[in-house]
Amino acid sequence: MKGPLVPFREIVLKVHSRCDLACDHCYIYEHADHSWRNRPKAISDEAISWTALRLAEHAKSHALPSVSVILHGGEPLLAGPGRLRRVCEELTAALDGVAELDLRIHTNGLQLSPRYLDLFDEFGVKVGISLDGDRAANDRHRRFADGRTSHPLVLRAVELLRQERYRHLYLGLLCTVDIANDPVAVYDALAELAPPRVDFLLPHATWESPPPRPDGSPTAYADWLLAVFDRWDEGGRTIPVRLFDSVLSTLTGGPGLTESLGLAPTDLVVVETDGALEQVDSLKSAYDGAAATGFDVFTHPFDLVAGHPGVRARQLELAGVGETCRTCPVVRSCGGGLYAHRYSAHREFDNTSVYCADLEALVRGIEARDAEALTPAAVTDPDALAAEHQNLTLTLLASLHRELDGRGGEEWDRAWRLALALDPGGPALDALLSHPYAHTWLRRTLTGLAAGRPGAIAEALRLSAHLAAALITAGDPAAPVPALAPVPAPVPVPVPYEDGLLELPALGTLRLFPPGPRSRGEALVTAEADGFTVTAEGRSPLKVAPGVETADWRPVRTVGGGGAPPLRLDDLDPCRDCFDAPALPRLDPAEADRWDRRLTGAWALLRSAAPARAAELAGALTTLTPLAPGETPVFGRSATREPGVRGHGYGALGIALPATDRELAVALLGAFGRARLNALLEVADLYAQDGWWRHPAPWQEGEVPVSELLAGVCERAALAPLDPEGAHQAAQGLKTLEDAPELTVAGRRLLAELWRELDGSGGPDGSGGTDSTSGPDGTSGSDGVDGSGAEPGHA
Amino acid sequence: MTIQTIPAFAAAKKNRVPLAQIDVRGAEAAKRLARVLPTTGEHTVRSATFNSAL
Repeated sequence: MKGPLVPFREIVLKVHSRCDLACDHCYIYEHADHSWRNRPKAISDEAISWTALRLAEHAKSHALPSVSVILHGGEPLLAGPGRLRRVCEELTAALDGVAELDLRIHTNGLQLSPRYLDLFDEFGVKVGISLDGDRAANDRHRRFADGRTSHPLVLRAVELLRQERYRHLYLGLLCTVDIANDPVAVYDALAELAPPRVDFLLPHATWESPPPRPDGSPTAYADWLLAVFDRWDEGGRTIPVRLFDSVLSTLTGGPGLTESLGLAPTDLVVVETDGALEQVDSLKSAYDGAAATGFDVFTHPFDLVAGHPGVRARQLELAGVGETCRTCPVVRSCGGGLYAHRYSAHREFDNTSVYCADLEALVRGIEARDAEALTPAAVTDPDALAAEHQNLTLTLLASLHRELDGRGGEEWDRAWRLALALDPGGPALDALLSHPYAHTWLRRTLTGLAAGRPGAIAEALRLSAHLAAALITAGDPAAPVPALAPVPAPVPVPVPYEDGLLELPALGTLRLFPPGPRSRGEALVTAEADGFTVTAEGRSPLKVAPGVETADWRPVRTVGGGGAPPLRLDDLDPCRDCFDAPALPRLDPAEADRWDRRLTGAWALLRSAAPARAAELAGALTTLTPLAPGETPVFGRSATREPGVRGHGYGALGIALPATDRELAVALLGAFGRARLNALLEVADLYAQDGWWRHPAPWQEGEVPVSELLAGVCERAALAPLDPEGAHQAAQGLKTLEDAPELTVAGRRLLAELWRELDGSGGPDGSGGTDSTSGPDGTSGSDGVDGSGAEPGHA
Repeated sequence: MTIQTIPAFAAAKKNRVPLAQIDVRGAEAAKRLARVLPTTGEHTVRSATFNSAL
């Protein structure tokens, strides 16, 4: 079997092999396996010592930060306080200085007393208790051998655990489902005991011994659990429920939280009371000896067990589930169900779960209930996308402050204090955050710091330049600054300059000195109502009007007008080189003028062919960066593939100026489609496990991962008003994506948006607005708008 | 070509957490940053997943 060995992080230590209850649904005593009959009742001193030794060597060799040890049985409290003390002592000593030890015990609670709890308090052992709900529910299975109820004794144990002195040890309640019980009564009974968490277990069953379904419904267990979910929801979801949280996690792209759900590789091993090392013990419900490995703690390291074929079979992620499951849209959430529940005598574990229909109904039921809540507003609301992306930029700034951890010295501290003072709602920080390459600067600097790149700290100190530029852009240095930390106006901001050049992001570049001895230093930049003043030692103060180019001041130009939105033509920012093609150096005035005219022409086309799309672009874009020609954009390429290096704030597009207005209109739509998806991917989880599945892409031979399919669809949907063939391909791609298991709830919601976009297509009559005679390259356009803006000699 | 001010996203301000209140050590910030920064390989403590216990 392929793949690296997965170390064990969770050890189930069977400290006692017998139980003082006789629950008729117990997988240890009542199912196929009878190995318990031949085990010693309590774990021996020798087995305890060897377990501690093996665990410590395993944690050390795999550099595990933590390991969990779950004291289990039978009924672990029957081992007695003396034996349990020895277990805790040996494990604690062995793991000391090696890894964090997370000790837990799972008990029926009958024997729980202050004597045990004081011991657990001493060693930090958290306590989980089995309880199947209200008395009627609990009595259905959890009885003594003579039929007596255990319910009052369990409640007494929980009551003890809830006392203030022990409450910190209270882990929660574990409930085995029986659909004959009233789900609401069960949940209410559990909730009444204020458990820190709850989990619901499907009763162990296999295809050989299927679960009871009294009414014949294939989804009876899902229906029961969803009734609990609804009750949980009504109560405000105040108690974490592992089963539900796991589904909610996977629906949003996260991992499964229990071995019974999700595709995470198993990382747990069982140590029996005789020192035998076994696979997860739920396998005991499959057949006699199913969990055995032939290894023991006395002679075998944990690594040998980790390489056992039975263990490896549950570490294969997607390859570890049956063929039917592999293409099921909900497999990321259910993971094919608990391994034991797949067993049949004929095909062993190569089956769907005996709870397959229930699991699918449960996942879909939760998704249907929570789809709205689990979808970030950014997926459906362009303003929310912009806001959320700016929140990300702000988080990057906060993260930079933390990563510097004093290394930025007084220069950083001064700039940071100013940022804090300008923050709450002030226009200056809005201006900083809305400059797309501030985002790029932060990502590059953080990546540089993490890599120990020389110069990364100097890069960080550019914060003051961003703040000075933002104060100028905000236009009003005395703008509402928080009462919390008032900033006097005007605020002179010390900004470092290099090579005699003072760079003010989004504004321009000022030459202070010719290259030479004074080429590096610090200038004071003061925002004023009609521009800004720069004071540097060794020269007289310079008053700058941002929009007026001079011999020393090269402003970031603005293009647009005549119906087009005003956009920065940023050919100066040092971080602008973050697109698929290289950014061009500073344009000469004629080139800039060509951009201006071409944008005006392209916008007129967009407003005619795709007014809705044109309005969306106008609301979102702030910046265009000219790129080198000759580079063909790669459909499906995502900036997030090279995190920390590429990437920019929402609102920037990098485009090579094409020869015609129509081509620029196409380039704008396509680039915006890419930029919007990239921004979304940076603030929301649209898919998970990218690359685990391959999908046909209607525009090429061969199959592609979901990231490429979605990116290609997004770009083609954006181009739809000008490209009917692309729109057709986008529709085909969307159909494929509908069943893609990788998509999260947010990803599926995006599909709905894309369908809506395709259906409307932004045309003036809502019918698609596309001239079917013209292609996206504008070469054959006959709509009268194809090449009217072409420049002579600009092929 | 015109020279004029580019409006910042007016709408982008909604629900912004103040800079000083961002808990960069918190789970929410970590999740946010992980989408755009290379993973640090930082070891994290994982919660137990054993089905028959909490």
